[in-house]
Amino acid sequence: MSDPINVRALAVGTRVMLGSGAEVEIIVNPEDGVWLFARYLSSADDPAMVGTEDMIFAQDVVEIRP
Amino acid sequence: MTDDRIAGLLLTQEIASFLYAEAELLDERRHDEWLALLADDIRYWMPMRRNVKYGDTTREFTREAEDISWFDEGKETLVRRVRQIQTGIHWAEEPQSRITHMVSNVQLLQVTPNAASAREVIAKSRFLIYRNRVETETDILVGKREDTLRRSDDGWLIARRKIILDQNVLMTKNLTFFF
Amino acid sequence: MPMNATRGYHSGLVDLTSGQISREIFVNEDIYAQEQERVFARSWLFVGHESQIPNNGDFFVSRMGEESVILCRDRSGAVRVFLNSCRHRGMKVCRYDDGNAAVFTCPYHGWSYGTDGALVGVPFFREAYHSELDKTKWGLVPVAQLACYKGTVWANWDASAPPFLEHLGEFRRFLDLILDGWDGREGQAELIGGVQKWIIPCNWKFPAENFSGDTYHNISHRSVDLVGAGPSGRSRRDYNELNVARKLHVALPDRGHQTITYALPKDHQPQAAYQNSPEVAEYFRHCEEERRRRPGSNNRLMGAPGEIFPNVALLPRQPRTLAVWHPKSAHETEVWRFFFVDRDAPQQVKNFLRDYYIRYSGPAGMTEQDDMENWNYAHAASRGVIARRYPYTYEMGMGHAVENYEWDGLQIPGRVIDLTKAQASEEPMRNLYRRWAQFMEADSWDELMPWRHETAAQAAQ
Repeated sequence: MSDPINVRALAVGTRVMLGSGAEVEIIVNPEDGVWLFARYLSSADDPAMVGTEDMIFAQDVVEIRP
Repeated sequence: MTDDRIAGLLLTQEIASFLYAEAELLDERRHDEWLALLADDIRYWMPMRRNVKYGDTTREFTREAEDISWFDEGKETLVRRVRQIQTGIHWAEEPQSRITHMVSNVQLLQVTPNAASAREVIAKSRFLIYRNRVETETDILVGKREDTLRRSDDGWLIARRKIILDQNVLMTKNLTFFF
Repeated sequence: MPMNATRGYHSGLVDLTSGQISREIFVNEDIYAQEQERVFARSWLFVGHESQIPNNGDFFVSRMGEESVILCRDRSGAVRVFLNSCRHRGMKVCRYDDGNAAVFTCPYHGWSYGTDGALVGVPFFREAYHSELDKTKWGLVPVAQLACYKGTVWANWDASAPPFLEHLGEFRRFLDLILDGWDGREGQAELIGGVQKWIIPCNWKFPAENFSGDTYHNISHRSVDLVGAGPSGRSRRDYNELNVARKLHVALPDRGHQTITYALPKDHQPQAAYQNSPEVAEYFRHCEEERRRRPGSNNRLMGAPGEIFPNVALLPRQPRTLAVWHPKSAHETEVWRFFFVDRDAPQQVKNFLRDYYIRYSGPAGMTEQDDMENWNYAHAASRGVIARRYPYTYEMGMGHAVENYEWDGLQIPGRVIDLTKAQASEEPMRNLYRRWAQFMEADSWDELMPWRHETAAQAAQ
């Protein structure tokens, strides 16, 4: 279990890992601390997601990529 | 103690005493004497406050001389406010309210040129104003003041007063008194 | 169905035959609860001004009656008004006063809504809801009708209400006095930053009837008249229209809007004003001249306090403000006051007017302070069981209003009482409470639009 991440502060362009193992890149941060708008860079569970944009829930974000 | 620190202490005490004496004049309804403590070019400003996102500090306060505020005026209007109370028919203050100003946390933010021979001081303080009127009508207003005080031949004068009230929707029906 | 003059509110509480109105309508909590449904849930209410939301995503949290609403310009530029309450458990989705947002996110469980109100984010939608929640059904609750008029934004929860301009009727010209430029150009009003919001301890109808055109209470402002707060340092206001104009009460009976207005003579020359500031005096002199050149009847009207039913007060002169009396309880009202200037007035003029507005209006206003004291204790002294037995009188000037009023070639709509000599009447208040009683009795908007039935009857003949 990783430490919680405050997504409110994440800059557009930041790449984050999700609990599912997918990696996404932030395209809009509404700075509400709850959601991110992001594009899928990889998704082992569902490869069709790659390239698509979706709202990411803060609790799904487990790691900020360097 | 060094001379500087002693001078600073004395000045802080002098300014605090001035602010307490000023509050005494207001609470004793000695409004003409209070007006005499205001510089002719005084700015008396009390912005309104917005609920804004964390970090959006510039938008939290309405802007002096640009936006609408609770007060944003000079001596002429302050004198008229006193005169209005003194008509005895300013119904919002007739019968007169019972008011107590609690002033505390006096801090000197800026001293010009130095504490030993200060000509101008920026002093911050806290206020708690208790107003009770007619029978049971009661208001408690709490906040901060930032005063620019200027030394004159007759003692300290208030050249600027910025009043920061810790409220968003004003929870009192009117502001017929002074901060 | 025409109003039955012997029913409920008309006979018992609002008696326009005798000009008496029961104190119950101000202090009774059951009546207050009913009027939230019958008046506020189906009336056109003012929510804000487009200059508050110039950019896509801009929002201003406003009120409609007791409820919080979000006025917002969505991502495509459309103006929207929603109830500020999450559809899942009701939490306010926005607790900022204004700003710019990509989404409105509920802090409780994280539901998130687009600026168009659509539900876009549901935590664990796939996992917990198994993708079964129909998001299209759970967007923020939009108002049933929305109208933008010369920058002002109005909304209504009732889809069966007539369109805003039909509701406004011939009162439009009086609203125009505040929204058009002082020089007569259309829609020049700009909101000064900062909306005054404060709580006054009285029923919302006290200020509503006062602003309907209470010229009788001038005596209560004697103290400010004595010390002077007006633009030229004296009295409360400039312009001595009474010397040349007719001072009128104008009431639109089927709409419930009413106002004081000044009718100016055809060859009217502007009065000297703003003598303390040559630049401001020159600005107004120039505007007055422009205004007289412009065709249309409005250049012969000088605005004065008025009320758009139910809870919006106009002050189309200086101070040029619009106030909303938001009901908070039977005994409390939250006032929101908006201040206007001409958009392209010189900064010096805007500054001068702003200083005047603040010292005149609002909780620190040398004029308005005394009003609030009166409303406060009038309300308090009307709550007792004995006090409630004794109605207020509104009989002043009963039977003296005329229709088809015309003066010096200028026609005035509605029912008019000439105050030039009379000084005061209670025609506007009777008009307000007649309409209020109609709303309290009527089961549908159809009953509240007699003008449509008249038009239909005329067409049938």
